[in-house]
Formats: sequence, structure tokens, C-alpha cells
Amino acid sequence: MGKEKLLPVFAIAVLLIGCFSALYVNAIEVDSKTIKINNEEYTINQIFSLVNTTTIITDEGEKTGVALDDLIIKTGNICSLCNAYTFKSKDGYQQTVTWDYLKKGVLTQENRIYFSDTAHSFWVRDIVEIEVD
Amino acid sequence: MNKNMKLFAGILVFGSLWGFSECIIGSVLKDAGLPYGSIMTGVFVLIFLVLSRITYRQPGMQLGMGVVAGTLRIFNPFGGCHLCSALAIMAEGALFEMIWYNFSFNSDNMKNITNQVSMGVITAYLVYVGGYIVTQILTPIVSGVGFYVENLIVFLPRILASGLLPGLIGAFVLPSVLQLSKLDLKIKDTLYYPTTFGVSAFCWIAVLSLWFMLGA
Repeated sequence: MGKEKLLPVFAIAVLLIGCFSALYVNAIEVDSKTIKINNEEYTINQIFSLVNTTTIITDEGEKTGVALDDLIIKTGNICSLCNAYTFKSKDGYQQTVTWDYLKKGVLTQENRIYFSDTAHSFWVRDIVEIEVD
Repeated sequence: MNKNMKLFAGILVFGSLWGFSECIIGSVLKDAGLPYGSIMTGVFVLIFLVLSRITYRQPGMQLGMGVVAGTLRIFNPFGGCHLCSALAIMAEGALFEMIWYNFSFNSDNMKNITNQVSMGVITAYLVYVGGYIVTQILTPIVSGVGFYVENLIVFLPRILASGLLPGLIGAFVLPSVLQLSKLDLKIKDTLYYPTTFGVSAFCWIAVLSLWFMLGA
């Protein structure tokens, strides 16, 4: 069978992959009003009452929120052996940074994380969990 | 006309138009709250890539267009992720080359509308999803933060789902481009270089001027 004759089969296959993936994503999406930091739940207001706000400069202007390094320290998750901090979004998106980058980031009242000097793909929105490894 | 020079001018003009649309039209679509990534790939990228392939019939050209468009996208005056978008655009050009490697629309089978629609779905879906995956891997590496494979794996279902819309758009766009190419519109040889370089210069000057004016 020529490759041209297989085209409709491939097209249906990619559409089915897209459809099933969409159904799966919809089924696993987490809708949480709290942020889990190393298995402890916090509301955004609790976080803002616990940690002082600071402002960083990004290429999209100033962003004000709680400093991520201060957040980790004040929630008791600082440890000398930890070297990776993963920010997980409700849609499954997640990014991992080291302490050096974490020090340049803030969590805003809109539940969005910004860093002063990383690519925008590290700016995670709708955070549901911060994992410390 | 010198064939290589003509091809270079073609790469420059199609790549510049692609980069210009990503910066200007893409930003307008984003501000309007529309799924700009899907629309850009399903409509504009597919038009530029397929039209240039049919017109010049030169494998490798679309890779060059991706490099030109990605470079222009770095200067997007309206913000966004410059590095990720530039990498995704370059990857899209390379992926198109792979999908269309040794592929011809001249055969009788490809005159069939079902095959044209199918090729539109496959091209738009794979170019979009592939570009998305490549940028998720390369952006952390190029920016020096570090790539964690588990971050990509958990997000993979969403990436695969996000290709659905561009795939469906591609089903309509590719047959339309093929119909358009039948009009056999050609530029006179004497006007070819002034037109291609003029259009390319307009795209670059417009984007760079806005970039400087908006202080991006």
C-alpha cells in the first residue's frame, strides 16, 4: 500500500490521540483553593500573612509577591540537602528550579510564580503544589 | 535568474512574513484571548510552509524559513516568551522538513481531497506538538536552568491534547492552499528581487522599530 493511501489512517490516529489526551487531561485536572508545600496545605492568604512581600523586576515589568526563598524558609522546608524545587500547576504543567533561581522568584496574590531572569516558560500559573526534593 | 539567489530571496521573504505574523498577528490574537498558538500554526505557518514548498519545490527551504522567522521572533516587541517561541518556530521548520521529506503532491493520489485533508491534519498536528515538545526540552537547557524529564512526561498529555485544534484547522487550510496554488500567480523576473527584498525589509523594519519604541 502506498504511503498516500495510509494518510487518512494516520490523520485519524493523530486526531484520536488528541481527543483521548484531552479527555485524560480534563479528568485529572486538579481544582484546589490551597497550595500544598511539601505536603502541608496553605491558602494564598495564609502564605501572604506568613511571608513579607517583595518586588522583582522582570522583562514584563515589576511583579510583587512573596519571595519564594522566604516562603520555603518560613514554612519550615529549608534543608541543606534539598536542591530541586518543583512548582506544579493545576493543569499538570510543572517546572523545577534550583535554590539559586528560587531566590529570584515571587509568588503573587494571583497565584502565579515569576522569576526575574528566566524564560517565561518558568512562570507557572495556578500553583497547586510546591515540592521540595 | 541565479537559482540559489532566487531561493535565498524566497527563504528570506517567507521566513520574514512568518516571523512578522508571529510577532504582530500572534500578539493581537493573544491579547484578544484567542488560542493564538493553535491559530498561528494551523493557519499562518501552514500557509507559508506549504505555499513555499509547492512554489519552490526545494527541500531544506522551510528549515531556513524557520531560522529566519525564529530570529525575528526574538525581537517580538509585545513580550511573551522570546526564547521558547523562537525555538518552537525553528523546530516547526525542521519538523515540516521531516514530515514532507520525499513527499510530493504531484501524484494522482494527492489530487484526492481526502488525502489533502489528511495531510493537513497530520502536518499541523505534528508540527505544533513537535514544536511544543522541542521548546519544553530546549528552553530550560539553553537558558541554563536545567531540564527535568519528569516535568515533560507529566505535561505530555496536555501537549498532545493541544495539537487537536491546529490539526482540525489544518484540515481546511492545506486543501485551500492547494487550490490557491492552482491560480499560478507569478511575479515577473524583473520585479522578483525588489518585491521579495522589499517585503522582507518591511517585516524586519516594522518589528524592530516597534521593539525599540516599546523598549522591549
